[in-house]
Amino acid sequence: MAALESLGTVLKADLLIVGGGIAGLACAISAKEADPEVDVLIVDKVVAGWGGKANKGGGNIVFVDPAELGGVLDFHVHNVGDFLEDQDLLMDFARETRPDLERLESWGVHIYRDDAGEPKYVRWLPEHPWRLAVLDQDLTLNMAKHARKLGVRIQDRVEIIDLLKDGHRVCGAIGFGMIDGACVVAEAGAVVLANGNQCFKLMPRWSSAGGEGIAAAYRAGAAMRGAEFGNFINWVFADTKEVCQGAEDCMYNAKGENISKRVRPVLESDVHSKEVVEWWKEMKAGNGPIVANMIENYVNNEIVPAFHEDALAVRPVSMRFWGLTIGKAMAGSTVQSPMQPVIPGLNAELSPVKVDHDMATTLPGLFAIGDVCYAGTCLAGAVPAPPGRMRGSGLGFATYSGVRCAPAAVAAARAAAGRPDAGQAEGLKARMFAPLDRDGMTAPEMVRAVQDVMVPVGYSISKRADRMGEALGKVLELKAKVPTLAAKDPHYLAACHVAESMVLGAEMFYRASLARQESRGWHLREDFPQRDDTNWLKWIELRDADGEMELSLEDVPVASYPLQPGAEAAG
Amino acid sequence: MNRIEIDRDACTSCQTCYDACFVDVYRWDDENDQPLVAYPEDCVGCNKCELECPAECIKVDIDFAGIYWPEVV
Repeated sequence: MAALESLGTVLKADLLIVGGGIAGLACAISAKEADPEVDVLIVDKVVAGWGGKANKGGGNIVFVDPAELGGVLDFHVHNVGDFLEDQDLLMDFARETRPDLERLESWGVHIYRDDAGEPKYVRWLPEHPWRLAVLDQDLTLNMAKHARKLGVRIQDRVEIIDLLKDGHRVCGAIGFGMIDGACVVAEAGAVVLANGNQCFKLMPRWSSAGGEGIAAAYRAGAAMRGAEFGNFINWVFADTKEVCQGAEDCMYNAKGENISKRVRPVLESDVHSKEVVEWWKEMKAGNGPIVANMIENYVNNEIVPAFHEDALAVRPVSMRFWGLTIGKAMAGSTVQSPMQPVIPGLNAELSPVKVDHDMATTLPGLFAIGDVCYAGTCLAGAVPAPPGRMRGSGLGFATYSGVRCAPAAVAAARAAAGRPDAGQAEGLKARMFAPLDRDGMTAPEMVRAVQDVMVPVGYSISKRADRMGEALGKVLELKAKVPTLAAKDPHYLAACHVAESMVLGAEMFYRASLARQESRGWHLREDFPQRDDTNWLKWIELRDADGEMELSLEDVPVASYPLQPGAEAAG
Repeated sequence: MNRIEIDRDACTSCQTCYDACFVDVYRWDDENDQPLVAYPEDCVGCNKCELECPAECIKVDIDFAGIYWPEVV
């Protein structure tokens, strides 16, 4: 058996954080604030502070004013999570959102305030208890600077593929350098996964989320939860694929009928799968294209300008980013009309790593934060998260989970003993580099093949057993081809592992979606159209069992929560 | 496929584009101390390299029609 040192460069730290986006940086900073002596190492497949998604979104973050906390839970269970929330965790998150703004500011993030010192904000809907604060999109660069100042070490351009264990305990990770392709072994007292969710790479701006952390956790034996909610969509302009915020409320078919109003007679909190189904039915009936009437677009006309025209605050980075991005899309558009054809764009946001309230996974020594585990917390309930029908919750949850995780992860790191099993590491190294030694399917071919199975509305949004069975069959055919994935260099080696993670993510999604035989929240089954509180106040768990994906159910402890669906019916 | 154009005469070799790219399109050409557009096929048009270049010597021409999109219906 090879010694660890013979396998590659060995990095050591008390706490290893995989991913230098907002969640990883929040956790690293919080860990150093809690214990300045703890040795924290961030590894990132590109460059910490530049990567991730936080600096490419809307630049808004949710918070709840303490005076409005009382309305959060009722709003959420009835408008978003449909009683599948972990209500305790949701309220803890809500309470921390305001202090988290101060935390972010102390880390160098620019949050805009009014003359009275209160955060400037907008609300998605007037009755929405969640407010959106605005920040500038150099947030993660400033956080990375602050982290370095506190002594956090950062190793850029290392792609982590698998987790290393001592028995059942996670105590390291293995990956390779993106530039030289050399093996990197990281030893740590505890490991925090902060490297994003699975977005299936369709929507360009979210394509860094390749799900490698989810796949690594699953292969190591960690449980997944809430994978059936990995099918978020944004409405996009059909020609440029740029997001069309607010299309959900102003869609018309070719007959001039408002199809949004059929399913959303009043304004709702963000997009919903139900109008995607309506779009799909109309398209199948030959009533397309479906257009968004931009003159009637409430969100685009009333909410978006508050951010993007800097009505609330002049944000130099955001203003340039969106000015250039939207400007190019508008210049590239082929439709010069307020009636803009729109199509659903799958963002997926599969984020299923199961964690507890300390963000600890089911494996000792392994934690997960941010988009890796948002659905896995069950905080948001029956909805893909982020955004969980709550724009700005991605940044909010990433910050919250990073902060919440730090004390427990530091304690776990301090208490740890033992080293990674060198034999296990040797096997994982061989598996990791195998695509370099063979000819076969390329990563781009596999990526497109997975997208072909995930994108059709009849598979992933309007769910039915026979069609999902067909989709799962195609996924399993792709799974059989994973051992043929071939790469010519480190860049494409990383792409092969992303492609493999996509196949795994698709399997999780369809297995969990098939299992949930009801419709609830975002999860819509044609063959089970009703919510079933008798049988399905349950969370679905998945885990690896000797190479097979094993499914189990966990009761939602709804009797211990403040709100129950039975009481709702009685009331 | 998106096209990335770099004005090599204006480039100051600051490596900002190399750092800013979150999808590993750029590599650094040590010999010439210049950015190398190594994987243009993976450019997602985020415009970060163009936006952040202090010398303003990068232009990303986005091929909207070339974005792969499976059959949705």
